[in-house]
Amino acid sequence: MKKRILLIALALMLTLSVFGCAKTDTTAPEATAEVATEVMATEVPTEAPAITAEPNQEDGLGITILFEQDDSLINNYSLLAVNEAAPFVDADGKAVADVAINTVGAKALIDWMLGDEAATLIANYGVEQYGEALFYIKEDKPVSTAEIPQEIDETKTIRLSTTTSVNDSGLLAYLLPTFESEYGYTVEVASAGTGKAIAAAQMGNADLILVHSKSQEEAYVTAGFSKILDGYTSERLTFMYNFFVLIGPKDDPAKCAEATDVKDAFARIAEGKFPFVSRGDLSGTHTKEVSLWPESLAITTDAASVEAYSEWYAYSNAGMGVCLTMANEMNAYILSDKATFLAFRANGGTVG
Amino acid sequence: MGKALQQAFDLLFSSDAELWNIVSVTMRMTLTSSIAALLLGAPLGVLYAGARFPGRKALIVLNRTLMGVPPVVCGLLCYLLFSGVGPLRHLQLLFTVNGMIVAQVMLITPIVAGNMETYLSGVIGEIRETARGLRLSRAKTFFVTLGESKYALVSTYLFGFGRAMAEVGAVSMVGGAIAFKTNVMTTAIMMYTNRGDFTLGLALGVLLLLISLIINVLAHLLQRRSA
Repeated sequence: MKKRILLIALALMLTLSVFGCAKTDTTAPEATAEVATEVMATEVPTEAPAITAEPNQEDGLGITILFEQDDSLINNYSLLAVNEAAPFVDADGKAVADVAINTVGAKALIDWMLGDEAATLIANYGVEQYGEALFYIKEDKPVSTAEIPQEIDETKTIRLSTTTSVNDSGLLAYLLPTFESEYGYTVEVASAGTGKAIAAAQMGNADLILVHSKSQEEAYVTAGFSKILDGYTSERLTFMYNFFVLIGPKDDPAKCAEATDVKDAFARIAEGKFPFVSRGDLSGTHTKEVSLWPESLAITTDAASVEAYSEWYAYSNAGMGVCLTMANEMNAYILSDKATFLAFRANGGTVG
Repeated sequence: MGKALQQAFDLLFSSDAELWNIVSVTMRMTLTSSIAALLLGAPLGVLYAGARFPGRKALIVLNRTLMGVPPVVCGLLCYLLFSGVGPLRHLQLLFTVNGMIVAQVMLITPIVAGNMETYLSGVIGEIRETARGLRLSRAKTFFVTLGESKYALVSTYLFGFGRAMAEVGAVSMVGGAIAFKTNVMTTAIMMYTNRGDFTLGLALGVLLLLISLIINVLAHLLQRRSA
């Protein structure tokens, strides 16, 4: 009996030590180093990149970009610090006073993101891999000259709640290791649609947010959940942008590619009742999409508003990648941010 | 599919730091939570089957109800409890592996207890009679009962282990799938799918199955020895 118990204990300890404890400590720094070298490599400007990602009929996907570069398709990203003195309430609506927010860490990350180093990195991201930059820096972005403090124990962990597009496109995994290795902080990124990312911050689960929905950001600021940091003039620090693109079947039955503007393209889809996949998750992409339909349809982010259109309008409540897959399978139209679509296409987008 | 299998094996022998971190977090979470659930659930099962006390039947029904709790509900509950504004915020468990383990233990303990109860209810009469004949104390009877159900214990543990490893709804809510911290294999598969990288997602799935296979083979050998 004793022998057997010993045997079991031994087997468990063996498995634990092989998989668990031994690995955890060593992997993280290695990874940081690895990514850091990658960053270094991309920093060196290479010769004119070969354009490989442009419309390529052999990419295995049934959908492609049909309409882009319309002024109303600009997709602005903003950073907002969480106000530690915000009117936090618990699930029952009772006020909670002592919510732990790492304001110093959040300001350090915001200062860095708005500084020159991050701007250069962002402008270069994706040029090599996709043939074009995935994000652009706004010319009138707030600028930071503040000295960024090194981490101390209380400020080491920064919780960033963000939207799927900056995470799934790989931007944060490319940017953050540089910041972390220079200043010692650890940035924990939780990504969900803008609606959920903001909700997480309102529940005290983030120190700052990086999102892309003006109306939702403004509501968040009005509710008192953000604050103006020293050296800035606004709570909403809009600093980079890219474009939403209308994606659809390559044969384009609604002839969206010939539309005069994006609203016209959306009207064509609605008129012909061509299948359309909506994120349906209150994300920035979802908020943008509902603003592009003809007003007579009265489509809002509320699921009840599209009940009458359910034969062609799929209110899916899923992430961008899942929705792109759906659109590909259903030969449907879909609105996506360009960065996620390019990354999606480059990753294969189909089961190989 | 073939490509995914190929990639799974390439991954196995690669030194991809993120992958190995995902595997190690998965194993740490799965082993800790399944062992804790076994330690809590097995005695509970013995209690349900063997002890006679008022409200026992009601407890068994309650336990069976808890066996069917959807993981996301458990995840949501833990999320609210551990949130920055939640009542247990000072434990700082949200977005940590320990928080995920708590959620898993809440999910799996009733399953372990229920399975043990089901198994024991068939054999408890005999064990009790023998124990009475031998004039064993209550504590001794308890350990004899556990000792007599080794085979069931191992399979119950494996069931709990499988549930813990396959879980996605609760751990993605409580853990937040943070890279190099709380990203486990199931949430990583979700993440890769969202990035359109189905092959890598499938490769991770194959890896998950392989690990499960190894554990099951080991357990089977143990079970055969103890049978």
